[in-house]
Amino acid sequence: MAENPDIFLERTYWSGPLLLSCGLHVAFAAFIVLYATFLHGAPTDHWGASGGGDAIGATLVSSVPLPTAPTDTQNILANESKGLAKSEPKPQEQEPDAIPIPDKATTSKPKPVTTASQRKPEPVAEPPSNQVPFGEGGPVSGPYGNFNAGGAKGGFGFSGGGGDFGSRYAWYVRVVQQKVSENWLKYEVDSRVGDASRVYITFDVVRSGQPRNVRVEQSSGVPSLDQSATRAIQRIDTFGPLPPDYAGDKVSVEFWFDYKR
Amino acid sequence: MRHDNFSIFPAKVSNWATALLFLLILSVPVLAQDWIRTGTGLGVEKVRIAAADFQPANADAKNAGLQKSFNETLFNDLENAGIFDLVSKSFYPLPAPARPADVKFDAWSSTPANASMLAFGSLGATSDRISVQAWLYDVKNVASPQVLGKQYDDDATPQAARSIAHKFANEIIFRLGGGIPGVAESTIYFVSDRTGHKEIWAMDYDGANQRAITHLGTISLSPRISPDGSRLAFSSITKSSWEILMYSVELERMISFPRFGGTNLSPSWSADGTKLALSSSRAGLPNIFVVDASGANPKRLTSGKGPDVSPTWNRKTSAQIAFVSGRSGLPQIYTMEADGTNLQRVTEQGYAVSPNWSPNGQFLTFSWMRKYGPGQPGANDLYLMDITSKQFVQLTHDGGRNDYPFWSPDGRHIVFQSSRSGSEQIWTMLADGTKVKQLTTSGHNTQPNWSWK
Repeated sequence: MAENPDIFLERTYWSGPLLLSCGLHVAFAAFIVLYATFLHGAPTDHWGASGGGDAIGATLVSSVPLPTAPTDTQNILANESKGLAKSEPKPQEQEPDAIPIPDKATTSKPKPVTTASQRKPEPVAEPPSNQVPFGEGGPVSGPYGNFNAGGAKGGFGFSGGGGDFGSRYAWYVRVVQQKVSENWLKYEVDSRVGDASRVYITFDVVRSGQPRNVRVEQSSGVPSLDQSATRAIQRIDTFGPLPPDYAGDKVSVEFWFDYKR
Repeated sequence: MRHDNFSIFPAKVSNWATALLFLLILSVPVLAQDWIRTGTGLGVEKVRIAAADFQPANADAKNAGLQKSFNETLFNDLENAGIFDLVSKSFYPLPAPARPADVKFDAWSSTPANASMLAFGSLGATSDRISVQAWLYDVKNVASPQVLGKQYDDDATPQAARSIAHKFANEIIFRLGGGIPGVAESTIYFVSDRTGHKEIWAMDYDGANQRAITHLGTISLSPRISPDGSRLAFSSITKSSWEILMYSVELERMISFPRFGGTNLSPSWSADGTKLALSSSRAGLPNIFVVDASGANPKRLTSGKGPDVSPTWNRKTSAQIAFVSGRSGLPQIYTMEADGTNLQRVTEQGYAVSPNWSPNGQFLTFSWMRKYGPGQPGANDLYLMDITSKQFVQLTHDGGRNDYPFWSPDGRHIVFQSSRSGSEQIWTMLADGTKVKQLTTSGHNTQPNWSWK
């Protein structure tokens, strides 16, 4: 006998919570508006404000000469360096001398004409070799050029904030690059892996120069490679304090690791 | 009572939880920030740096001498740092800049100088003070070239000029070397017999300013400076036996340290300076002991016939100790935890002594005759071993007996003793075995120890 009344009672018991829920939603919406208006009144930065992703090159410069595989440079064709082979403009071929059409009006005797068949054979100069002796071709640099040379030119991606970290503090970027390369121990990677796709690691460098918040942005598919890359960052105590006149409190770094045994 | 299931209380809680969650998400400030994108496997060499001669800031007569001492020191410090490719001075465009306005960016950054960094500035003496203004410029970054700008002031002596050059070089190395302080102001302690007795001596890291520390007139060996640089522990022969003695660098006199009895050798400081590991035969056989910095609470870590000598702490963690033991015949390197557990043999053959742990805790360097015995003329060379992978690299190749390697505090250099010049002398090299340089020449100089900073 208590079953039927329950059905009718439900309506009365739902209205309270429903009201409260509505009230809370309204209050919450109001809170968001107020919070955004007053507390974060003047947003200065936006997501994806400017800049974009680019990349720069680094070498595996190990402070200690543990046996390492020779580093490969990428895409030597699209490269600002002189490289190891110099390209030279094709020597212009001289057109054969034009033979003047004899003029009937002239009484003078036409000069004897030398044709190609009559010409004395001359030694043909060998086309200059395009090889550059070892060590004279300048450094073979990465596809994006040495960032010290170009400042930010195609060197770095950045967004918002000061926005020009890469161009203003190229020397600091170089430090980051070098330290990570030095601290990457390739032997931590599974020895059965011959070649793996690129792994992207992102991390923040805080004012004191310590790396924080290390995470794998895009896995290589090889767990031991991902882990060795993560460890390379975690192994670093500090990159040195951020430049004192830099306004931001941290810099985010995206670092990729190419592995080839 | 039967309506308990419809109580509004749970709903309230969940609503508040949701609200709280959103609040938390919202209050994480979404700030745009600077991004760097970079990777390995491409081509960058060492930083190419030029150190222009600092110019006189005024016409004081003392300037010439100070300038010479300053410029030489700065150039050498940068060259010794091991992280730079230093541009030869003959390539420098003239005149050398004294102020930022004088820097010709094109001339410095293009052939032949081809520098990316330029250190320059001026120094001037007024009465008995010297004032130095120094800059470090990224000459390939014309828009915002300044990396460092420094001003120094000190007594007008060549020694002070040297010290200022060391400080500025250290600043440059700190900035461009990734936050690792340079070693330009560090000290090397060593044993020298140039006075007739084996005494403890000290010198600047570049071999300058060599001076005697002890005058005991006996035999003193294996100096080890404490991490704070205040005390020097060494083993010395006393009336009764070999004991650990302690010298205060600050008070410039011997201070008391307990005598343990037996033969006590090769002290080694832990990285926090609170403990000393040493080899002592107070319990009969030479074993490794750990004592407090005051000499109290001796604790025995190894047992057996040994002999166990030359302990060295893992300088990064202070959690492990490497040492030499003759328990299996010829001396070999072993490691163990700082409490004596987890004993592991590191070298498997030959004659291995004098281990020293790198500041980053990753490497052991030691002296090793890989082949030892009749009919196997083995060279005595220095090796570097990666502790985790047990891979090793030979660092010296040039003959002579090479022994007692010791790491510099920045982990980029190793000081060692070598007889390659005919007699035992102190040499330094980069940790990859390059840039070998002799520091001492007179008498016999052995057992170097690099200060902690």
